[in-house]
Parts: sequence; C-alpha cells; structure tokens
Amino acid sequence: DGAAVLPAPQNLSVRSVNMKHVLTWSPVIVPEEIIHYSVEYQGEYESLYMSHIWIPSSWCSPTQRPECDITEDITATVSYSLRVRATLGSLTSAWSTLKHRFNQNSTILTPPRMEITMDGFHLLIKLEDLGPHFEFFVSYWRKEPGAKEHVKVVRPGVLPVYLEMVEPGAAYCVKARTFVKAIGRHSAFSQPECVKVQGEALPL
Amino acid sequence: GLKTLHLGSCVITTNLHGIRSGFSEIRDSVQAKDEIIDIRILRKTQSLQGTKPADRCCLLHHILRLYLDRVFKNYQPPDHHIFRKVSRLANSLLTIKKDLRLCHAHMSCPCGEEAAEKYSQILSHFEELPPQAAVVKALGELDILLQWLEEA
Repeated sequence: DGAAVLPAPQNLSVRSVNMKHVLTWSPVIVPEEIIHYSVEYQGEYESLYMSHIWIPSSWCSPTQRPECDITEDITATVSYSLRVRATLGSLTSAWSTLKHRFNQNSTILTPPRMEITMDGFHLLIKLEDLGPHFEFFVSYWRKEPGAKEHVKVVRPGVLPVYLEMVEPGAAYCVKARTFVKAIGRHSAFSQPECVKVQGEALPL
Repeated sequence: GLKTLHLGSCVITTNLHGIRSGFSEIRDSVQAKDEIIDIRILRKTQSLQGTKPADRCCLLHHILRLYLDRVFKNYQPPDHHIFRKVSRLANSLLTIKKDLRLCHAHMSCPCGEEAAEKYSQILSHFEELPPQAAVVKALGELDILLQWLEEA
C-alpha cells in the first residue's frame, strides 16, 4: 500500500480577498517528477450530517499547482473544511486538512478602485467589477464648506454611473465602498477623489 | 439579493436569490427522475401561506429538518456537478435552519397545533412513498418550498 510513501502537502491556508477564495499549500517536491494534487471540501452540512462525505473541488481534482481557486465551491455562508493530497502515478499521500475551517464571511474586503470622469457637465464614476456579490455605495459632494453629502447605491454590472450635474468652476469629491449582502459586510471607503470643473464659476 | 422572511414574530434574512439560482441549475435533471407524478409531498393545504403566521416558523423549521435529515442525506447525485449544487442547497438551508433555531431560542418560534398537524401530514405524504422515490420527489419539490419562502 503506497498510500503514505508520498509526503502529504503542508502549510494549508486560505487567502480570501473580495469573495475570491484561494487555498494554498507548500508543494511536495520529488526531483524530476510531476506531482498532482487533489482538493476536496466539506460544508457544514456534510460535516454535521454525512461526515464521511467529501466533495471534489470544481477546479482542482486534480491540479499540478500548489493552489486552488475554491471560490465556486464555497457557495454558502457556513464553515467549510478543506483537504489536499498529493499523487505521483500510483503513489498517493495522506490527506492534509486545513487546520481552521473557512467561512466566506472572513473574506478581506478592499476599498473599490474608481475613476472619476466628466462628460460635459455630468459627473461620472467608473468602478471596478468585483463580481455578482458586490454592491457599491458611492458618496459624493461639492467641495465647499457645509456641502451636503449624497449617496447612491450601485449594483454590479452598471458601469460607469452618472452621479449629478456639475457647475463650471466648482470642485466635487467622490468616495465609494463595497457591500456584500451574502455576508452582510462592507469595505472601508476609498480615498476621496476630487475633480475641478472647467470654466468660470456662475455669477451668484 | 437578501430576502426578509416574515414568519410570525421570527424575522430572518436569507440569500433566497442565490438558493433559487442554485436549485434552478439542477431542477430539470432532478425532477426528470421523479416518476410518481400524481402525488405531491408539499401540498397547498400545508403551505406556509395557508398557515397562521404564529405557526409558520415552526412549520418551516420542521420541513427544513426533514430536508436536512432525510432528503439531502439520502440523495444519490448522478455526478459531481449535481453533488456540488446539492451541497450548496443543503448548506444554504442549514443556514436558514440555524437562524430559525435562534428564533426558537428567543421564544419567537412557537409550535402550535396547526404547525404540528400540517407537518405530520407532510411527513405522511413523504413516508407513503418508497424511500428513494420520496427523496427524489422532495428534492424536486424544493421548487414549491422556495415559492413558499418567496411569498413569506
């Protein structure tokens, strides 16, 4: 039984940013040989109700790289167990299991990148597309004391967004943050970006 | 997006849209395996809408337990693709059940006679069928359960 001859992958961890989840591990090195890896997962349901059942990951059963995009496998806001094993021909390592279960609600949410543009006297914002989970809260105001801050909710896929009519000679600032409904969390606001509108300020 | 479920004094939010889209990917293939077409497990007479609000949380809690204990657990997926989709459904419904348990802990999920009576009718419909046929039919009837939730 060659099961334990191949060393099991070590140092499993999940890197999760903006709801993209990647499982990584230290590669198993056998000189001049190509190692394949198989990744499997178990949701909280499987752990509780059918603990002997593991599900092969969508993209990495098998794979040659010491990492696996598990985004499509993590589809509910519950905790997931993940395990990996190495294979070389008929040799198979033991399974290595992620020490701490992973839940997508721990993903790191970064402030969104945005681009402020003008189209005539229309203030527009272009936001990076982070995928279907994301909504964007865009906050904008006229750069003057006591100016009122306006907020607009932008759903994924609607880019760029018209914000408002602007006046010549005035300056306007914009900031944005993301919101992920599935986990009920939002990112920090981006740094405000300000633009000055061409032309002479209108007489009062 | 998130849907708020009003189940008497128990109010929870859930990603019903995500669950519905996950189910729609396997609905046709699951329902195609259901050969007993003249019987339904989830009938209109036992719907959440036809149940008084105070008992809806308990009825849903029982139905979800049936699905988690006896349907998903005994369903034999034909391939890994279906298996992953069913796992997504099971884990999503588990999330809802956990929320209902919180309501229960906060005394906002009472179990009255109506909930008990309707659940026992659903259970008897389920148990009248051969086990594997019941599992396949119940999985196909998630359509109905999701409809009830969308109207809750």
